[in-house]
Amino acid sequence: MSDPLRAHVDDQMCVGTGICEATAPDLFEIGDDGLSHVLKDEVPPELVAAAREAAENCPTRALSLTGG
Amino acid sequence: MTTVQPDVDSIDLSDLEFWTLPLEQRDAAFAALRRDRPFAFFEEPEIPFIEKGPGYYAIVRHADVEAVSSQPKLFCSGEGATSIANLPVELNEFYGSMISMDDPRHAKIRRIVSKAFTPKMLEALVADVEQITDKLLADARAVAESGDGTFDLVKHVSSPLPLKVICQMMGIPEEEEQLVLDQTNLILSGGDEEFIDDENKALELILGAGQALADVMERLAEERRTTPTADLTSALIRTEVDGETLSHQEIASFFILLCAAGNETTRTAISNGVYALHQNPEQKARWMADPELTKTAVEEIVRWASPVIWMRRTATQDVEVGGHQFKAGDKLIMFYNSANRDERVFTDPDTFDISRDPNPHYGFGAPGPHFCLGAHLARREISVAFRKMFEQMPDLEVAGDPDRLKSSFINGIKRLPVRLTGSA
Repeated sequence: MSDPLRAHVDDQMCVGTGICEATAPDLFEIGDDGLSHVLKDEVPPELVAAAREAAENCPTRALSLTGG
Repeated sequence: MTTVQPDVDSIDLSDLEFWTLPLEQRDAAFAALRRDRPFAFFEEPEIPFIEKGPGYYAIVRHADVEAVSSQPKLFCSGEGATSIANLPVELNEFYGSMISMDDPRHAKIRRIVSKAFTPKMLEALVADVEQITDKLLADARAVAESGDGTFDLVKHVSSPLPLKVICQMMGIPEEEEQLVLDQTNLILSGGDEEFIDDENKALELILGAGQALADVMERLAEERRTTPTADLTSALIRTEVDGETLSHQEIASFFILLCAAGNETTRTAISNGVYALHQNPEQKARWMADPELTKTAVEEIVRWASPVIWMRRTATQDVEVGGHQFKAGDKLIMFYNSANRDERVFTDPDTFDISRDPNPHYGFGAPGPHFCLGAHLARREISVAFRKMFEQMPDLEVAGDPDRLKSSFINGIKRLPVRLTGSA
């Protein structure tokens, strides 16, 4: 079995545009620090498509996915 | 539509007269550049009192705009992002704030501002976008009904809506709104004689306008330092990232940026959107009948309007993009309007389609650290504006041609006469 799919936010790249939160609100949240935070340790199957869409659409290329 | 493609040799993007051509002709010129000369070189426009630079390359294809925008180390903003000519660095940052900075200063300011500008924070601050819009539409109706049934959409709706939102967000008193509007118009007049009739005075007038805005903000910042409120100015003053805060001057510069970037853009999107719906009545009917289309419709309006036409980058080293070799110091102008009509990316790019999906437009800028900070605010303002207009003015129709701003930088509309027909 392969590693579970995980989402990561690069704090140096993120400027909090909020596109990820709008695309996958159950997975990303813009915190009080103005940056995106991943809400779940592993991406659940029902959020995989949204996670990929969010990662692709991040305007600052701050999101990445590993495993899966 | 069959438009004759112009001869690429006859296109001069530095000629202000080019930017007075009908939009279809400009779009056709950019289509020709995308096809035949994707890295066209132009001499810089003459600006009194500013030394004429070496010229610039027009980046017109979607993929090339993305390549330039997404590599900020190779293509910097710090030598100027909103001016083709190199301006003294102090002037650049004063007018452009973080838009004309590179990391690490850009990152510092952007992170402080991002922290005070989260979607949730905005949600709380601008819960009254709806109220502001209701009031503006009621006032506009009164103007129409007390006169000949017409009003100017720009003056009564698309201009005051974002202005009032920004002023309320920042805590600017209502009596200063007109000043903020007038000074912002001056800064972004782009060569339109209605705002600056003597180009020899342009620099002086624009400097004065920036100073006037800075004065308003510095006064307010001083007040909020001693007596903080729930507004964004108070949040900006107290927000720290890694122990750093914004200076008064940085807050003033950010305010100038916010006025310029937050007023003209949303105004331009709303005005162009109303006109696009007028030209495409079947799209208007679809949207009015189906509010679910709002999300894609707003994106299409931003693609269609491309409110900010370009941003500049400067190559920091010898580098290749899209098969073209650039040298360190070359100026590259990313034409978002052209990227947004690129036939390699968009099916039927010259068709206004409110259900277009996907719609990877660069109306909020292309990928990279300078992507529009206010995108979520703009989307919200545009959504509310159209939904409310459909509800409260279903009988609104365009009553004349748009009076367009003479500018290469902002795809502005100065006046758009509309009328309420009373039959809905």
